Amino acid sequence: MDSKEVSELIKEYAGDVRIVNNRCLFATSDKQRFRALLRALRVAGVTHISTITGIDVGNVVEVIYHFDCWPTMLNLKIPLPKDDLKIPTITDVFPGAVLYERDLMEMLGVKVEGHPDPRRLFLPDDWPEGVYPLRKEFRGAPK
Amino acid sequence: MTFVVPVGPQHPMLKEPEFFRFEVKGEEIVGVDIRLGYAHRGIEEALSRRSYKHNVYLCERICGICNVVHSTTYCQTVEQLAGVEPPERAKYIRAILMELERIHSHLLWLGVAAHQIGFNTLFMLAWRDREYVMDLRELISGGRVHSAMNTIGGVRRDVRSEHVPTMLRGLDKLEQSARYYTDLWGSDRTILARCTNVGVLSKDDAIKFCAVGPLARASDVKVDIRKDDPYGAYGALSFNVITEQEGDVWAKGMVRLREILESIKIVRQALKELPSGPVRTPVELKIPPNETVERTEAPRGELIYYIRSNGTDTPERVRVRTPTYGNFASMKSMFAGGTVAEIPIVMWSIDPCFGCNDRITLVDSHTGKARVVSFDELRRWKK
Repeated sequence: MDSKEVSELIKEYAGDVRIVNNRCLFATSDKQRFRALLRALRVAGVTHISTITGIDVGNVVEVIYHFDCWPTMLNLKIPLPKDDLKIPTITDVFPGAVLYERDLMEMLGVKVEGHPDPRRLFLPDDWPEGVYPLRKEFRGAPK
Repeated sequence: MTFVVPVGPQHPMLKEPEFFRFEVKGEEIVGVDIRLGYAHRGIEEALSRRSYKHNVYLCERICGICNVVHSTTYCQTVEQLAGVEPPERAKYIRAILMELERIHSHLLWLGVAAHQIGFNTLFMLAWRDREYVMDLRELISGGRVHSAMNTIGGVRRDVRSEHVPTMLRGLDKLEQSARYYTDLWGSDRTILARCTNVGVLSKDDAIKFCAVGPLARASDVKVDIRKDDPYGAYGALSFNVITEQEGDVWAKGMVRLREILESIKIVRQALKELPSGPVRTPVELKIPPNETVERTEAPRGELIYYIRSNGTDTPERVRVRTPTYGNFASMKSMFAGGTVAEIPIVMWSIDPCFGCNDRITLVDSHTGKARVVSFDELRRWKK
C-alpha cells in the first residue's frame, strides 16, 4: 500500500492525516476508535509493527505506533491525558509489540491494559515505583 | 519437573552481558525468559539534551559494529526534518561505508558462529579475512571501526580517486574468501551437522513476531528496507534481496554469507558510478517544530529513528529502535523444543547485539522455581 491507500483505509478511524511522502504518513486517532483501526489494518494484511514511541508533551503523553504497511510507514498517534494514562494492549492483534509495550510502561508510566507480561524490561528491579525516566520532570536516577 | 538454567549476565557463551533464563525438562528447552537493560545507558534521554551536532557522535556510539548505519540514519532523519538534501556524492559514500560495515559485521558473525560450534579454524580464518574490510574502511575514513564520516548534510571526508584501485583490489580478495565460505557453509559436515534443523523460526512466526533483517529473510520473508523503502543512493544501486526457505541456523548463516557477495557488488557499482561534486550541504540547525521517521537496513535488520524538533538546536525527542530489540520477540519460538547444547549457536544465529547490570537468580532446589533477587536485597542478606 502507498500513503494514499493507507490514508483511505484509516480515514474512518483517524483524523489529522499528514502525508510526508509516498511511503510515510502520520495520523492521529483516539482510544475509542483505536481497536477498530487495528482490526482494519489487520484485515488489510498489515502484520508488522516496527516500534512504539512515547513522548511526554506536558499534560499529555503521545503514544505513536509505527506500523509497516509494506512499504508505507504509518505513524499513528494516540494522545493520552496524564490523569488517564491507560491504553489497551495491542498484543492480541500484533504479538510483535510485546516488548515495546513493556518499554512504554516503564519509561513513561503509561498503563497498558491487558498486557500478558507487564514486568519491567530495561530498568532494574529495585528501581522505585512511579519514577519514569522519559518524563519531562525526570532529573537523574534516584539515589 | 522443570529445571532452570540461568545464562548470564556474565557467561562464556555471551559476548556481552544479558540475562537469559532457560527452563528445561531433561535436555529439552521448554521456556525462555529474557532480562534486558544490562547495557542500558539512557541514550534516548541523553539525545534529547544535546545539540543536533553532538548527537551525531552519540548515535555513532549506540553500537560499535554498526556505527555508520546509526549515524547515517540519524543524519538522514535530521536532514529530512530540516528539509535539506545531501549531495549525491555524499549519498554514495555513505552507501559504500554502510556496505563495508555489513561485510565486516557478517564476517564477524561467521567467526563467532564457527567458534560457538567448536570450529575454531573457521573462526580464525573469517576474522583474518575481516581485516581486509577493516583496512578498506580505514583507507577511506581514517578509522577501522568508528569512522566519524557522517555529518548532518553529507560526509566529512571525500573518497580520493587514488584510493579506488586499492579498494577494488581489496574487494576482489574479499569476494574470493566470501565465495569460499559460502561453498563451505553449504558442504562442510561439521557445519551441516550442527546447524541444519536447529533453532528453526517458521515463516508464520517470523511474520507474527515481527522479525527483521537476516533473521526474517532466512525464514523466507522478503524484507529489506534498501529495496522496500530505498534511502540515500540505494534507489540507483542494483542488488538482490537474499532469502532462504529453511529458517534454521544454517539458513541464517547462508543469508548473511550470500549478502556479503551482494554488498561487494554494491560497493563496486558505487565506486564506479560515484558522482562528482561536493560532499556536504550546509544546514541551519535551528529546526522549526516538526517530526519525522526514517528507517534503514542495518546489518542486523530494520533500524528506525524517530525525531521531533521544537524550534531550538536540540531535539525534543529521539526514539531509536535497533534491529536486535525487534528480534527478541521471536526468540521463544526458536528455542522451544531444542536442547541445552544448542543454546549458544541458536542465540548467536540472531546476531544479538546487547550490553548489561546487577542481578542474581536463585533457584529453589525443592520447587525448581526461580526468583530474581535485587542487588539491595542481596546486600542485606544475613550470612
